[in-house]
Amino acid sequence: MAIESINGCIGCEECIKSCPTDVIRLDQKTKKAIITFPEDCQICHLCRLYCPVDAITITPEKSIPVIVSWG
Amino acid sequence: MSSSKENGKISRRSFIALAGGAAGAMALASMGMPMGWAENNPEIDVDALGLDKFNTDVLVIGSGMAGLFAAVKAHDAGAKVMMVSKGRLGSSGQTPFAKGIFAFDPEKEELSIDEFVAKISRSAMGSNNEAYTRQMAEHSLDRVNELKSWGFFDSAIYNKSFSKPINERNIPVHERIVVTHLIKEDEKIVGAAGFSVDEQKVLIYEAKSVILCTGAGGFKPNGFPIGDLTHDGTIMAYDIGAKVTGKEWNDGHPGRAENPAACYDGWGDMFENKPSTVSVEVHHDLGVDLNYMVYASGNSVTMGRPGEGDMNAVSGGPFTPEEFKRQETGRRPGPQSDEGRPPRGEGKPPGGGKPPKDGGGGPPGMSGTPVGGSSAGMAIHKSEGLVPINERCESNIPGLYAAGDALGSYMSGGIYTQIGSSLAGSAVQGGVAGEAAAKYSKTVGSVSISDAKIKDVEEEILAPLKREAGYSPAWVTQTLQGIMIPNFILYVKKENLMKGALAYIEELRDQHMGHLRAANLHDLRLAHETRNMIVSAEMKLRASLMRKESRCSHYRLDYPEMDDENWRAWINIYKGEDGTMQLEKQPFGQWPNQGAEIV
Repeated sequence: MAIESINGCIGCEECIKSCPTDVIRLDQKTKKAIITFPEDCQICHLCRLYCPVDAITITPEKSIPVIVSWG
Repeated sequence: MSSSKENGKISRRSFIALAGGAAGAMALASMGMPMGWAENNPEIDVDALGLDKFNTDVLVIGSGMAGLFAAVKAHDAGAKVMMVSKGRLGSSGQTPFAKGIFAFDPEKEELSIDEFVAKISRSAMGSNNEAYTRQMAEHSLDRVNELKSWGFFDSAIYNKSFSKPINERNIPVHERIVVTHLIKEDEKIVGAAGFSVDEQKVLIYEAKSVILCTGAGGFKPNGFPIGDLTHDGTIMAYDIGAKVTGKEWNDGHPGRAENPAACYDGWGDMFENKPSTVSVEVHHDLGVDLNYMVYASGNSVTMGRPGEGDMNAVSGGPFTPEEFKRQETGRRPGPQSDEGRPPRGEGKPPGGGKPPKDGGGGPPGMSGTPVGGSSAGMAIHKSEGLVPINERCESNIPGLYAAGDALGSYMSGGIYTQIGSSLAGSAVQGGVAGEAAAKYSKTVGSVSISDAKIKDVEEEILAPLKREAGYSPAWVTQTLQGIMIPNFILYVKKENLMKGALAYIEELRDQHMGHLRAANLHDLRLAHETRNMIVSAEMKLRASLMRKESRCSHYRLDYPEMDDENWRAWINIYKGEDGTMQLEKQPFGQWPNQGAEIV
């Protein structure tokens, strides 16, 4: 499912800033990055490349959107 | 940051219950299903949004390669500069993924610049603007050397090297700001407006001059890293009367059938590589020839290994000049744009991902079974964007400039010609536009935007948040993709199908564009991006219908021949007095309106 997990986050926000599609946000309570809008992940890995502690796991799979008549 | 989803009110409680709890809702979200009822439940207090105002000489919008040089050169020419970006300096748009940059070194090249320009023009079948082709070649080595001094070639990620010259000059950079409006008063540019995705704020930028470095755009396709590019600059400029061009050309990058959404995996380990320079190597790289092969053969095209698949396998299709037909074996159709072909690095396998499989190290389509449309909605780099009225990146609106993929400079023409020239062209044009905008700003007195104008713009920016109900941007985007991405609409073009698609797009424009909803600032960004994609889709269809010939990356099944008698011309699009889209021809080799020759 694209960006899958963030484990060992140190709260530096590099991934949040470097994501072109605004997938990751900072959890205001834990002060750690949290995957917030995974549906917009383009699987470009910039977040992982910028992460200084290699905390981000990404997989290449992404499901096809369900088609509905309006939404 | 009270706007983010995790902190907002739980607005979809009923939906989550129906979907089987939070896990079910997350699963649906991850599949890209537009969640939520038609009812809009804003997670933020729209009426409590703040407003910040800034004033500068030159406003640079966008922070990729063009934006970097626009800001640096405008500053060095004596202007007060601000940079504003939807993403992050060096980490948004296509710049982070471009690893090859062209540098024309007269000491080392066998071709003179005159010969180089002539060769590009032959490959581009006359569709390039020779002034911009030459400018790119002449300035490329200087820009590359500056990049080298900033450490650009020392890292696979660009934020640090881009920050060096910006920080040395104390140029303010506002990141994660979605600019939605350009503002014109008394027929001149006076600034721009947008909103922050992090803070609940509308931002107003008063500026004597604006340089759009907003990149290209697409329909948020899968497998090519343009999910954040939706022709924002082009559409906001069109809205205030700028002319735009190049909408009929096609970037034809294929993706891979296996995990087609995975940009990184499709490009092997290229994203991990440090950038490198490229010397003269002129091609005629279509991309759309693969689309035609699939169309003509009923998708019996299998390309397990590089080199398999040959245009000779089918008759007809896009035309390649004899001089540029591929002689070698071991290559297959597919464009080579500014990614170039750097050596494979020693990159580690992606975290949690699989190491590249057999043959997985090349660009999309260079290995594995290909699929089309991975860059759908994007034209050839530098051929789509604002119409320049001269070689200084100036638009028809006084004070408004554009550079890089936001400028329809036709540096390369309607086809990929010189490998690595796209990134070089962004650097060169950024510098040219920066100096020109700084010079222009000195001729303008102070600028200010009236309170009445600010109020109107703020209303438009926030409208999707204020709607009590409406369509989700994700659903409208998905619908647009279903109309525009299939092979038989923009890649293999036919009158009746394009007219059919246009009817659908007009429906989205008339019945959906004004009813997009947003519950938070992330959604608000998507709503504005969706609107821009709808307008761009209409432009692409109208321009493709108008060009009744085939040339370069524009292929009409019903007009398969090149028509030099009628179509040695670019197509410009502008908003008519009644608000409708107007199209006009501009002859190759001439600047707009005045008919002055491009020399």
